[in-house]
Amino acid sequence: MSAPTPVASEYDSQDAKLLATYKRVPTVYDELTTSSGAVRPRWRRVLEAFAGNANKGAQDKAQRLLRENGVTFVAQGERDRSRPWRLDLFPLLIDPNEWATIERGVIQRARLLNDLLVDLYGPQRVLKDKVLPPGLVFGNPQFLRPCTNLAIRDDLHLHFVAFDLARGADGRWWVLSDRTQAPSGAGYALENRVVSSQCLPELYAEHNVRRLASFFRAFSERFLSLSSQDQPVAVFLSPGPTKQNYFEHAYLARYLGFSVVEGSDLTVRDDRVYLKTVVGLKPVDLIMRRISAEMCDPLELRTDSMIGVPGLLQAARAGKVTIGNALGSGIAESDGFLSFLPALSKFFLDEDLAMPSVATWWCGQQRERDYVLANLDQLIVRRISTARNLFGHNQGSLSRPGMTPAEREHLKREIERSGHDFVGQESPSLSTAPVSSSTGTLEAAPLVLRVYVGATKQGYQVMPGGLTRIAAGSDPRAAWLEAGDVSKDTWVLSDQPVEQFSLLAQRQDSSRLHRGGRDLPSRAADSLFWLGRYTERAEGAVRLFRSLVIRLGGEMGSTRSVVSPERVVSMLIVQKHLSARRGRRAMQEGREAVERELWTILFDPECKDGLATVLGNVRRNAEAVRERLSFDTFRILRDLTEVIYSWQLSPGHETDDALRLLNRLIQYLAAFNGMVMENMTRGYGWRFLDMGRRLERLRAMIQLIQQLAVRGDPQDDGALELLLELADSTMTYRARYHAAPQLPAVLDLLLSDDSNPRSAVFQIVTLSEHMAHLPSHDGDGLMTPDQRIMTRLSSELRLADAVALGATVSRFDTRVELDRLVRRIDRGVHQLSDHIAEMFFSHSSPRRVAGARRTES
Amino acid sequence: MIYDVRHKTTFVYEEVVSVSHHVLHLAPRSLPRQRCLETSIVIDPVPSIGSTGEDYFGNPVRYLTVQEPHERLVVEAYARVEVDAPPELGDLAASPTWESIRESAKTVANGGLTAFEFCFDSPYVAVGDDVYDYAAVSLRPGRPILDAVMDLTGRICREFEYRGGVSDVSTPVRDVLAMRKGVCQDFAHLQIACLRSFGLPARYVSGYLLTHPPEGKEKLIGADASHAWISVWSGADGWVDFDPTNNVIPKTEHITVGWGRDYGDVSPINGFILGGGAHQVVVAVDVTQLMPAPG
Repeated sequence: MSAPTPVASEYDSQDAKLLATYKRVPTVYDELTTSSGAVRPRWRRVLEAFAGNANKGAQDKAQRLLRENGVTFVAQGERDRSRPWRLDLFPLLIDPNEWATIERGVIQRARLLNDLLVDLYGPQRVLKDKVLPPGLVFGNPQFLRPCTNLAIRDDLHLHFVAFDLARGADGRWWVLSDRTQAPSGAGYALENRVVSSQCLPELYAEHNVRRLASFFRAFSERFLSLSSQDQPVAVFLSPGPTKQNYFEHAYLARYLGFSVVEGSDLTVRDDRVYLKTVVGLKPVDLIMRRISAEMCDPLELRTDSMIGVPGLLQAARAGKVTIGNALGSGIAESDGFLSFLPALSKFFLDEDLAMPSVATWWCGQQRERDYVLANLDQLIVRRISTARNLFGHNQGSLSRPGMTPAEREHLKREIERSGHDFVGQESPSLSTAPVSSSTGTLEAAPLVLRVYVGATKQGYQVMPGGLTRIAAGSDPRAAWLEAGDVSKDTWVLSDQPVEQFSLLAQRQDSSRLHRGGRDLPSRAADSLFWLGRYTERAEGAVRLFRSLVIRLGGEMGSTRSVVSPERVVSMLIVQKHLSARRGRRAMQEGREAVERELWTILFDPECKDGLATVLGNVRRNAEAVRERLSFDTFRILRDLTEVIYSWQLSPGHETDDALRLLNRLIQYLAAFNGMVMENMTRGYGWRFLDMGRRLERLRAMIQLIQQLAVRGDPQDDGALELLLELADSTMTYRARYHAAPQLPAVLDLLLSDDSNPRSAVFQIVTLSEHMAHLPSHDGDGLMTPDQRIMTRLSSELRLADAVALGATVSRFDTRVELDRLVRRIDRGVHQLSDHIAEMFFSHSSPRRVAGARRTES
Repeated sequence: MIYDVRHKTTFVYEEVVSVSHHVLHLAPRSLPRQRCLETSIVIDPVPSIGSTGEDYFGNPVRYLTVQEPHERLVVEAYARVEVDAPPELGDLAASPTWESIRESAKTVANGGLTAFEFCFDSPYVAVGDDVYDYAAVSLRPGRPILDAVMDLTGRICREFEYRGGVSDVSTPVRDVLAMRKGVCQDFAHLQIACLRSFGLPARYVSGYLLTHPPEGKEKLIGADASHAWISVWSGADGWVDFDPTNNVIPKTEHITVGWGRDYGDVSPINGFILGGGAHQVVVAVDVTQLMPAPG
C-alpha cells in the first residue's frame, strides 16, 4: 500500500483544520478530493458548512433522533441483539451526470436479471443454447423447481432490486453484488434522509437534492396495478419482530401503506390468499415478501419452514396473488452469474453490459477453479449457497491470508468437490469519503453504495439516493465484507428544480393507497391485547414494589399499623413477581436480605424475576405492533422498558433511588395510558389494547382482595390501607368517607362502585362495551359465551352485599362469602380471556402431516 | 405384467382440522415400458379445491385443499399398470467408464442436460467425505459405470441392515452410513449420494414392489408398502434402475410412480393442516399381479 498523502489545503484555516487528519490513499478514488488534493467543486459548500459552527451538535442530534425513532438493526449472527442505527451526517454527494450513468447501468441490469429469471423458470434457452453452464443453475439451491411456470403477471419477477456498488480507482462505478431475493435497506435510506434533512435543513435545502418519495409512489402504483382487483389488498410479509431488521419492515410497510404480516397470519382457501383478521378472512392480492423464497410455502418448498404459508405456490400458480419478488428470484443474485452477465446481456438484450461487475471466477469451470485455487490468499472466496445479509460479520471470505495448512487443504478439497458452489472474487478497490471522527475532524473511509431499482409503470426506475455504508476498518478488503457499521445519506444532486413535497407529507399522502389496510390482523389484535395486559401488570408490579420500598424505609409513621414487608414479599411471590425460592431465602435472612433482593430484582436486567421480565414482555408486544403505534407512543414504551438498564444506585441512597425509579416508571405508564386514551383512534386495535388492560386490572383487583381482605383483620393490620394504595383509590376513599378504612366500604368501592375506574365492575362494564363493538362471529341473536360470562360477573358484582361479604367469617378465619365471590370472578376472568383468544386470535401455525414412510420390508 | 396397486392412507386427528392442504405423488407416470391402464384417487372428505398437473420432473401431481372441518382424511389411490421388461443390458462390464459418463453428463447430447440436474446436492442428499470414501471402493478408476453401480448396489444390500424405526426422512445420509442400517429410502439416498460424490447423475425413484408371501402362506392384504430405489444415467443406455434394498436391477416387479432428486421431490403425500392436535397415519398398500386370462 502506498503512503497516504495529506490533502494540500488552499482553503481557509477552518477547512484546513477540518481536513487536518484527512488522508487519502493515492491508489484509490477519493470522493472529496482530486489526486492533486484539491476539493472537488460539488463538495465545497458542504465542507464549508461543516467547518463553520452552524452544524455543531447536528451529529448528536441525528443520533438522538435515530434513537428516539427506535431505528435499530440486527446484525447477522446476533439474533437477539438489536443495535442502534448509526448515521454519519456528512452526506455522500453524487453529480447529476454521474448519477445518470449509474441509473443506466443498474436499470439495464434489473431488466437483464428479470429476463434471466423468465427464461430459467420457463424455456431455459440459456442452458440449451449453452450461454450458461447448467451447473450454475442446477447446483444452486435457490433454483426452486416448483416455481417453474408460475403465473407471473407481465413476466415481472423482479419488482424491487438492489445493487451494491463500489467506485474503482479510475472513477468508474462497479457492481459488487446483485440483490434480488428480498433486498433490504431502503427503509434505512429513507430514515437517513428524514434525519439528515432535519439535522442539516439549510444545507439540504440549498443543494437541490433529489427527493425519494416519488420513487416509492411510482413503485407502489405499479405494484398495486398488478392485481385485477379494484381495491387490491397488499401486505408486507415479514419473518416477525424477533428477526433481522424488523424495524425496516415495519417502517417500509407503514410508508407504503401495507400491513405487516407473518406467515401464520395468512391462509390459503380456494387457491386465494387470505389475511386472518378480527373480522374474519380478508382476501390478499399482493405480497411484498421479506422471507427468503424457499421458506415461503412449506407444502412445496422447504417443508421445515415455520414462517411460510402452505398453499401459497398454488395460489401463485392460479394467478390469484402477485408476490414481489416472485418466488424463485433469489437465484439471480448468485455471484456465480457475475462473470456471465456480459454474455447474457448480449443474449437477452443485444446490448453491451453497461456497468461492469467485480472480477469473479466461478469454480464450476475447470480453468476458473484452477485460478482460484492458485490464488486463494489474494481472492475473496465464498459459497454461493450461503445467504448474505445487509449487515453483519461472518459473511466474509472463506479464505484469508493467515490460513493454516489444514484449513487451506480443507477449503481446497471443498472447492474441488463442489466447485459449482464457490466463487473467487477480486478484492475490489473502494473509493473513500469523509467521515466525522470523534474529535470532529474528517477522515477518509471506504464506502459501498447500495442503490435500489423498482418496477414502475414507466419501467424500472432508480431510487434517486441510496444507502451508503462505511466500513470502520481500514483494510479495504475487509471493508466491503463488513460494511454496515456506519451509514450515510446519499444526496443525488439535480441540475433541475426538485419536487418539493416532503417525505412526511408523502407519508400522509400514501395513506390514499392504503386500501383495506385498516383490517386488523388477528396477530396484531393479540399483541395489542397483551400489550394492554402487560402494561397493566407492570403497573401493578411497580405499585407493589413501591409499597415494599416504602415499608422497608419505615416511612409509614402516621398510620396505626402497617403491613409488614414480609407480607408484601409473600404477595410478590403469589403474583409471580418474585420466585418463591428467592423470596423465602431473603425473608429468612432478615430485612437487609429483603432489601438486597429487592435491589437485585429492580436493577438487575439479567434477573429472571421481577421488573425486567414484565417490561420485556411489554417491549416484545410493543415491537410486534410497532407500525400501529404512534412514534410518541412507541418512544414512551421504549423509555419505560429501558430506563431500568441505565438507572444507577448510589450507595447509601438505595431507597431514594429505588423510589425515584418506581415513580418514574409510574409516570411512563401514565403517559402511555394517556397516549392510548387521547391519541389512538377508536378502531379495533384500541379496543383490544384496552380490553387487555381491563381484563388484567380486573384480575389484579381480585387477586389483591384475595390476598389482603379474605383473611385476618384487615381493618386493624393495615391491609386495607395497602389495598387502597395498590388500587390507587386512597384519595377517592378519603374524599368519600373521611375516616379510617372500613372493610364493607372498601369492598364496595373496589368491587361494586361503577363510578370508580379502578373497581372490578367498572372493568366488566368497559369490557362489555368493547365486546359489543367487536365483530361477533354468531349473528343469531343468542348470547355468546363471553356475553354470558360478563353478564353473570357484572350482576354478581353489582348485587354483592358488601356488609355481608365482610362479616361472614368461618372458624378458619376466612370470609367465606368473599372468598367464594372472588374465586368465581377469577374463574370467569380466565374463561373470558380464553374466549377472547379463541374468537379473535386464532392464528395458530399450520403443522405438517405426511404419509408414513416405509418402515417394514 | 399387469398389476393392481392400491395405496390407502388414512389420517386420524385428535381434534378437528379446519383446513388441510396436500400434495400427492400417487399416480404412476406413464413410461415407454410402463402403461397406466387405469388410475383413480378417491379422497374423503371431497376436497373443495383440487387440481392435477405435472411437476418439474414430469411426474403426475395432485394438489388438494379440504376446507370443511374434518377429523379424518382418507386418500385412496388405485392404479392398474402394465409393466414390460426393460431391454437387456448385456454385459455390464461392457458399459462406458464412469469417468466418460461424468463428462458426457455435462453436454446437452443424449439427454445430458436433464441428467445433469441430478449431479448436485439436494435437500435430503448431502455429500461428504465419508460418502465419497465409501463410494470410492466401487468406483475404481476406469471401471465401467454399470458394473461399478451394480457392485455398489450389492455392497449396500450386504453391508446394511434393513431395519425400520431407526431413521426418519430427515436422517442425514452420513448417519445412515455410520449406523449401517435403515430402510429403502435411506439406502436409495445413500447410493445417490455416493454416485453424486463422483459427479454422476443419480435420481430417486418412488414406486411399488411386488412382494411374495412366505412359501405356503396367503398374501396378506395391505401388507405391502411403497418402495424406493435409484436410477443412474449411463449415456447411450439412458437411465438404468438399481434397487440397493434388494440388490437387483428392477425388471417387471417394480412399478414406478415418479422420480426426483430425492424423497422430497416425490414424497407420496405431503400435507399441512390447521388444527388437528395429535394425529395418526395408517398406510395400507396392496400390489397384486393379475393372472393372465385362462386358456
